[in-house]
This record gives sequence, C-alpha cells and structure tokens, in this order.
Amino acid sequence: MAITILKPLPPANTQNAATAYNSDSDSDGGVDLEGDVSMMATALSSKPSRHVGGKGYDQAIVTPGEIITEDSQWMRGHGTYTTPDPYAIVASVAGTLVKTNKLLSVRPLRARYTPEIGDLVIGRITEVQARRWRVDVGASLLAQLPLSAVNLPGGIQRRRTETDELQIRTFFSEGDLLVAEVQQLHNDGGAVLHTRSLKYGKLRNGLFLAVSGTGGGGGVVRARRQAFTLDAGRAANDKIDVVLGVNGYIWISKHVEGEGAAAESAGPGITRVEESVGLNVYSSQNDAIAPETMREIARVRGVVEALVQHGTRVDEDTVTRGYNEAVEMARGDGDGPDTLYLGGERGKRLVDALKGR
Amino acid sequence: MPLDTSSAYPLALLRVDGRRWNDLRRLHAAVRTQAAADGSAYLEMGNTKVMCTVTGPSEENKRRTAASTATGNTGGAGGGAGAGGAEVAVEIVVGGFSSVDRKRRGRGDKRIHELQTTLSKALAAALHTHLYPRSTIALSLHVLSQDGSLLAALLNASTLALVDAGIPMSDLPVACTAGLTSAASAADDPLVDLNAQEEQELPFLTLATLGDTDRVMVLVLETRVQAARLKDMVDLAADACKSVHKSLREVVRRRGEHMVEEGAVEKGASMAMDMDIDV
Amino acid sequence: MPREAEPSLNERAFVVQALQEGLRIDGRALDQFRELDLKFGDQYGVADLTLGKTRIFAKVSAEVTTPYTDRPFDGIFTITTELSPMASPSFEVNRPTETEIMLSRLLEKTVRRSNALDTESLCLVSGQKCWSIRVDLHVLSHDGNLIDASCLAVVAALRHFRKPDTSIEGETLTIYTPAEREPVPLSWLHSPLCVTFSFFGEEADIVVMDANLLEEQLRVTSFTISFNKHGEICQGAKLGGTTVEAMTLIKCANDALDKVKELTTWLDLKLVEDSKRRDKGGLMAELSAENER
Repeated sequence: MAITILKPLPPANTQNAATAYNSDSDSDGGVDLEGDVSMMATALSSKPSRHVGGKGYDQAIVTPGEIITEDSQWMRGHGTYTTPDPYAIVASVAGTLVKTNKLLSVRPLRARYTPEIGDLVIGRITEVQARRWRVDVGASLLAQLPLSAVNLPGGIQRRRTETDELQIRTFFSEGDLLVAEVQQLHNDGGAVLHTRSLKYGKLRNGLFLAVSGTGGGGGVVRARRQAFTLDAGRAANDKIDVVLGVNGYIWISKHVEGEGAAAESAGPGITRVEESVGLNVYSSQNDAIAPETMREIARVRGVVEALVQHGTRVDEDTVTRGYNEAVEMARGDGDGPDTLYLGGERGKRLVDALKGR
Repeated sequence: MPLDTSSAYPLALLRVDGRRWNDLRRLHAAVRTQAAADGSAYLEMGNTKVMCTVTGPSEENKRRTAASTATGNTGGAGGGAGAGGAEVAVEIVVGGFSSVDRKRRGRGDKRIHELQTTLSKALAAALHTHLYPRSTIALSLHVLSQDGSLLAALLNASTLALVDAGIPMSDLPVACTAGLTSAASAADDPLVDLNAQEEQELPFLTLATLGDTDRVMVLVLETRVQAARLKDMVDLAADACKSVHKSLREVVRRRGEHMVEEGAVEKGASMAMDMDIDV
Repeated sequence: MPREAEPSLNERAFVVQALQEGLRIDGRALDQFRELDLKFGDQYGVADLTLGKTRIFAKVSAEVTTPYTDRPFDGIFTITTELSPMASPSFEVNRPTETEIMLSRLLEKTVRRSNALDTESLCLVSGQKCWSIRVDLHVLSHDGNLIDASCLAVVAALRHFRKPDTSIEGETLTIYTPAEREPVPLSWLHSPLCVTFSFFGEEADIVVMDANLLEEQLRVTSFTISFNKHGEICQGAKLGGTTVEAMTLIKCANDALDKVKELTTWLDLKLVEDSKRRDKGGLMAELSAENER
C-alpha cells in the first residue's frame, strides 16, 4: 500500500476489507462457524482449528469503542461499559468475546495480571514495612504480605512478637523472591498474600523468568496444578521443580526432597507445617547444584521461552511435553545432548512438534 | 526551482509530495513491538515515525515519580473523573537525529512539555482510569523521525500501545492534522495530514477525536487563520480522524486474529449466532 | 511542595448543579467576564490588570543587544512569566509548574508566533545591533483565568510601551534619551487576545467564560482561543480533557470573536485615556517648573 487515495468527502473506506468491520455489524454477520460458548474450555488440545482466510473470525476480535450489542437483556462484564442512551454494551479493551449465561465480557488479548483469591503467584519483595512486606506480583498495585501471614521459624505456631517485627528482614528482605497464595482482595484490587503452607515461601536454588503480558489468555493460565516436578532425564534423582505463577512469573529450580513448592504432592501440606518449618525456609543460601542440573534448568527455561515466543500457553502439560521434546531434539540432531539452544528455528520446530499432536 | 506549497498547488492540484488534498500519507503501524513492555506500538504516518511503550498500570514508587521531571500529572486537571483514578504519565523523547537539522532538545523544552501534558490529559479522559486507583500508567514515546503531524502521530501510537497493554478505554483516541492551502483567500482547498514543509508554510490544526465520533479531544491551532475557515478545517480533520480510526482498528484486529490463529487466545463467542437462537 | 487544596465533593456537586441550572456561584452570566480594571504606571510599558481577584502585573523593558546569528534582521522579543508563591502557595520559585509552562506557551503562541510585534522593526544595524524587548509578567494574585488576564496585560503593556528613539547617520547609531526626543511606540501589527472557555458536565455541554479558580478546578476541560479584531484566529488550544462536540467548539470561536472585539475596544479606550492623562500631566509639570523659576 503506497499512498492511500481518498475520494472526496466523506472519505470512502481505505481498505476494501474494512467494510466487514463496521462497529455496528453485530447483526449483519451470521457467518460465524463455531460461535458456541463451549469453545472457551482451556488446554491446548481445544485450540481452535486453524482457519486461514479469516472469514470465521470476522466477529472474533472486538476493539475498544465497538458496540457489542444494543440488546438490554445482556449484562456487562469485564472489558465492557454501557452507554445509557441508546442502551448499548461497548467493548473497552481489544479481545475476544466471552459469554457466561447473560453476562458479556471481553477477554483482553493481553493485560496485566489481575489477582484473584486462591491464585498461586510468584512475587518479589519491593519494600519492607513495620509489620508487612510489599510484593511486586506484576499487578497494577503492589501486593501486601503481612507478617502474620507467614510461617515463622521455630517449628511451632506462636504469637508474633516484637522481636519478629524487628527481625522482619531476616525472613524476607528487598529483592527476595517468594511463592505465595492470594488470600484476600481489597476493594481497589490490591491483593493480600499468605505463605502459610509448606509449599509457599522463599525461593532459592533456581532461576526466575517473567512471561510478559499474561492474564489475557496467553502465557501462564490458571490450571489445576501450578507447581510440579519434572524428571530431568538422565539421572533418576535429578529432578527439577517448576512453579508457574498465575501472574506470569515463573520459577525453575533444583528439586529438594521435602521442600519447595512442588512438595504439595509429596505429602500432607498444612498439617505438617509445625514440624517442617525448619531453618532452611528463610535461607538465602543456595545448595550445591550440579552443572548437569543447571543445564537442565536452563533447558526448561528455553522451553518456556519458546512456548511464549510462539504464542502457546504455558501449563504443566506443555512444559513437560516441551521439555521431553527438547531433550529428544537435542539428542536427535547431532549437536549433542548438551545443546540448550531453543531460539529461532529450533524453538519453532519444538512448538510445531507440540502442536502436531 | 524548489517546490513551494502555495505556488505549486493551484497549478496541478497536487501537493509537494504528490498527494491530492484529501490523501492521507501511508499509515503503517505495528503493535507489540517490544516484548518486555506491558504494551508497545510503532507507528509511521508518512515519514513521521514514533515508538511508544506502556508500563503499568503499576504502583509507582513515590520517590521515583518526584525524580522524573517529565511527567504530565493529571491530578486535578482530569476533573471529576480524575479523582481517585490512575495517573497517566507521559514522557516524550525526541531523537536528535529525527529532523533534518540535528538539534539537541533539553529536558526543559516547553514545547515537549506541552505535548506531554496534552497527551496525558487527553488519554486520561479516554481511559477508564477509575479502575486503577493509586496506580500510574506510564507512557514513553520516542520520536525517531519527524515529518509533520507529530502530535497526531504521538497520540495514535499511544492509543495502539494502550490497547496492546489491555487498558480499558471508552474508544480509540485518534488524531490527524488539517490545513489550508493559503491563509488569505477563502476559496482554496483544505488539506489533510500535513508534512513538515506544509506545516511550516501553511496554517494548520491538529485535531483528535474519540473514536469515529465528532467529539473533539484535542484541538491545537498555532498559526494565524481566518475565523471563517476554522469550521472547514475542523470538519476535514474530523473526517480524516475517521479514516485513521479505521486503520488503527484494523491493526488491532489483525493482531488479535493472528493470536487467535496461533492459539494463544481462545476464540471468542459470537454475538450474531446466539441472538438468532434467542429470538 | 504544598499542593493546591482540592474542592470537596459537595462543593463540586453544588457548583456543577448550579451551572446546570445556568447559575454561577458569583452570580454572573455564563459568558460574562468579571470586573476588569487596568492601570498604567508612570513609566511607559507598565500595566497592572485586575480581573476580579486575579491581578497581573506586566512590565516591558528594552535594551540594545546583538541579534541572534541565525536571524540577523530580527530583534529579540521575549516574554517571561513568573508565578511566585505570592499568587498561590502551590507555586514555587525556580520550579515551573504545569500552569506556568502552559501559560508561557500560550502567550508565546498568541503574541509572539502570531507576529503581533514586528520584530524586523527592532533591528538597528543588521547582524550587529538590535532592540531586545522583554516582557516580565508577574502574577500577583491567582483567582482563575490567568491566561486571558495575562494576555490582556501583556498586550496592554506592549502597546503602552515607548522605546527610546534612535537615528543612524553613516556608521554611528544614536540613542536619544527621553529628554532629547520623545520615545516612540513599538511597531505593533495587531492585538491578539485570548478567551478561555471552561466546560462542565458529563458531556461537557455547559460552556462558561472567565472561570474563577474554583470553577477552573472543577471544569472537565478548557478551550483557549486567540483572536485579533480583524477576525483572525491566532491560536487555538484544547489540550486534552473530556471530549467536546466539534460544533460547540466552532460556536465558542464565534463567541470568542465578539468578546475579543469588546475587549479590544475597552483596551483602546484605556490607552487613549492614559495618553490624555499623560499629556495633561506633562503640560502641568512644565508649567509648574516655569513658575518655580
């Protein structure tokens, strides 16, 4: 398209395709092929069959300011607003339409993380205050972690004393990474976290990875299990913990028996808190990690980055399968099993292999 | 002989760059150009090229806000809606290499400051800032190349980046310029989307509207012009904004469809189908 | 930095509701200016303007300097604004607030960029000597509508100003003191004046002229347009804020033109009054001097 030439006033449509996208076109479509609501099920397997030509997508994406419906039987949800006269539900973000019974909302293509109660998140301490920490979880507001919501070392449940308040930096100090759960939400959307479980707490022995632009569908999705352990191939005792924070922050670390976020599967969680809160919980010292383990951790990171780059969702299934695939690929193509590189063509091959199933 | 905007036009009815009066320049835009930002966009209007990244909404550290001198505060200026909502901070960096003669612009440049304030106030009114109390939406704009319609390009790029960041807004704010072939006579044609040479020689205004309505967000006129011609210019600019709006929406939509095809986003429900069932 | 206290929610609701009924808290009509008063000083180029409780002081001074190298034929013309803590505690010295930057930008666009003052006439010897005209603007009291008041004060001061007369004979440039030769006025081309409209209401459909400070704090957006009496727009600025119907803005422009004509007539009258006063005073002084001898 070189210089676009307009006809005299009023200017005609510049793109011939544009006529199909009139803002009030919700009534003239009717060409939608699979507009059923069940499409919003999760998991990669239910990804839409790949349409080329886009005829079926005419209605798929709404943009801000676009009228979704003028029918007053619908209720507005997230990503929409209403105009009183004439009544209309209008999209306020760009994304796909979601219908839950009579509730209309728009799932944004990408947005910052919005906390919800029960979310497993990874956060970084940004500020230490008298009785609480302020934690960056990638949301619009910093989350709070009150001193009363963490397990204190010493094994037993006890009152928080002034000594604890004075020693608050010995538990978490600025820059520390932790995994926690959203316990409560404030009116303004700010989250309150807690780490009162064996599976939560300070993170060590691994690396941090932020998957940008989550919350809108891509990247990490809410799933049954956000933390899991991978068998890192060669040595049987070589295991890697992966924690996928719903907020798009990911932690990949060496697996330590009876510790770490993935330990939830290993045994009863909360009940054993008393015995298990050892000294290690707030340690800022990494264990000795073998170079092989480090290499596998890096490989997992490569897998996650490849998944994100090629727009695939990140969950337990894709990471596990992706990791195995990556190991196979490294073994298969002659560069030697130590090849970790998963950028460019290799990343694409990996993701294609995953999607192929 | 160098071409002159006012002498060449009456002869051929073509402008210095060969456009007719109502031709927009090539509008090329891309969203999500920087992976690390919450939202980002790159926009070209002819040879005017700008980049925008959005950070936030996030809780800005108070100390840091005070340190950065170049933020447009919307605090009281946004009026009733501004109270208790997110702050929109805009920072514009004009590259020294962006225009023909290399010029170093200091931080204290009032023109840049005015642009920042204008953008910040305009965007704050379009965005649903009340959804993000106590947070800051920070926009960082870089001007890579200047060839007229700078404010318009900056606003359009900001719009795309904010959409990419998934920040709710009432409609897409869009902007365009309109000018007159000469200030004196009342009979000549208005022009759209002026380039730098035309901006220097002809009277022009920059107009921003909300979506494809006739509601004006920003109107900046900096040259002398007969009062009677204002209406023509506003009308034409508003129409040009509608074309820009269409293009920008197309950019966003294409990006979304691409993501749906890749499977990164689940396909949305359709309105049309269900309506039939209900009826 | 002490911040301006924000009006309370109730105040806000009251003012806006009253405006919806077409009433302003100080009883003015929607398009009525507050009481204007303008005093000129004993010196040339000093103007002291009051608009309700807003008070602006403008002083023009001239000196001979070398012109900028890239503009050898042009004189230098600068307008500096100063919003001191005297006007409002939220203003700080040496740290321009947004209000100040916007004000100086608007004056710059209205008066300087519209070529109200013929800068070429300020040139004495091309590339070597020229007049540098400087307007210092001080806001003494801030009760809203700084822009309109400042613009009026600047234009009044500049039109009132007389610069020393000069002559060139061959290579020598002579500047005469006021005693030797009567100072001469600036070469003034047209008088651009600003009118600011404030908009209220959800749809920004209530239009108010000359808002006071409280109204300024509550308005949803504003539109400043500058005209001269010949009906030329010199500048127009609606910098963000709630959207306004294009037709409303066009209507505002027409109203502004009427207002500017009214203000220009008023200003002309004031200038004539002052020159009469001066003439009389000058004569009186001469007489009294003779008597003493």
